[in-house]
Amino acid sequence: MADRGCSARRVALQGYLDNELEPAARAEMAEHLCECADCRHALDQARLLSASVKQHAAYYPAPDLLLRSVFASPPATRRTPLARVRDWLAPLFSAAALALALVLYIATPPADRPWMEDAVASHVRSLMAGHLNDVASSDRHTVKPWFTGKLDFAPPVHDFAAQGYPLLGGRLDYLQNQPAAALAYGHAKHVINLFILPANGPDKPRETLALRGYNLVAWQLGHMRFIAVSDVEAGELETFSQLVETGL
Amino acid sequence: MKRFEELFAPHMDAAYNLARWLTGDESAAQDVVQASAFRAFRFVHQFVDGNPKAWFLTIVRHESYGWLKASSGGRWVAVSDEISEDDPELSHAQTPELLAMQAENAMLLQQALQALAPAFREVIVLKELEDLSYKDIARVVDIPMGTVMSRLARARSMLKLELLKLHAHG
Repeated sequence: MADRGCSARRVALQGYLDNELEPAARAEMAEHLCECADCRHALDQARLLSASVKQHAAYYPAPDLLLRSVFASPPATRRTPLARVRDWLAPLFSAAALALALVLYIATPPADRPWMEDAVASHVRSLMAGHLNDVASSDRHTVKPWFTGKLDFAPPVHDFAAQGYPLLGGRLDYLQNQPAAALAYGHAKHVINLFILPANGPDKPRETLALRGYNLVAWQLGHMRFIAVSDVEAGELETFSQLVETGL
Repeated sequence: MKRFEELFAPHMDAAYNLARWLTGDESAAQDVVQASAFRAFRFVHQFVDGNPKAWFLTIVRHESYGWLKASSGGRWVAVSDEISEDDPELSHAQTPELLAMQAENAMLLQQALQALAPAFREVIVLKELEDLSYKDIARVVDIPMGTVMSRLARARSMLKLELLKLHAHG
């Protein structure tokens, strides 16, 4: 059959079957089919297969739910060219806004940044001047009453010796010119200063940051601001802060 | 929306059918058609004239392949339209009765068509189930018009082979 070009015709046969051949090619094929049983046979098979697919292969109509969601969804309002532009720009603006928010978040110091600076300064001072505690005691029943009369608020005082953070004592300190209770805790050879003072505004979750080589964890709970400063590892300071927050 | 609906609402079945055959998955097909409709809606102003069905199916096909690609982890099968003369599946003389029998079995036919590579499956679906012209198939599948016929020839012979194979294995 190859010598009569039948193999080459196998492709054109599809076009013949699908009625896609140019008139001249179609006539040529018809003529060839008259005299070539092989090609007639191939055509029959192709026709059979084609009919079989049409008859037996599943046709999947679009589910109702899909139709409803496509044609009844928000775009049902009339679209002006302007609206179309807006459609395009909306995601762009969202992206821009997000980027801007990120930049602001990273670039601008948060409002409590001065508090953190003060806390670090005070922590350093307390260590240098040997002025860690006004009242040196590991007994919270001694420390807590000591603050009474010196502060117009009652700081929560707990000892976490069992968890490896013993209470060393307390002193009166100032952050941003506001009186603060400073509680000193030990951890191994390190000191943790925990500053507690009244604050306005809603509760804020714990936030960790590093400043001048010190780690800080700050949060706000029940109208009290808490700032823990130390040179202990961030993870350990976080553990300590968790203790304080949950121990309250 | 009115224009969008007028143009494409009549072809939602075709869209879903193609997506369903290409992805082989009901929920994937729904996602694909949804995404395609969204795209079509966005770019409907670019549709000037021509066959809205082919235009829409082009998008559906594109989205379906996107899904296929993602779900196959990027592995991709190259398609050859070459038909070598000694392809055993092209020797059409063999077992005509068997083929006739197999082709009458709806389940086997379904299985055989699903077993074809997407590039072959899609031309069969577009030709036999959607009755698209070669011109529109070329448009949807993004191949030259001259290639459509050879792609179909290859697809049909592969389908035949699959059917015969299913008998051998059954």
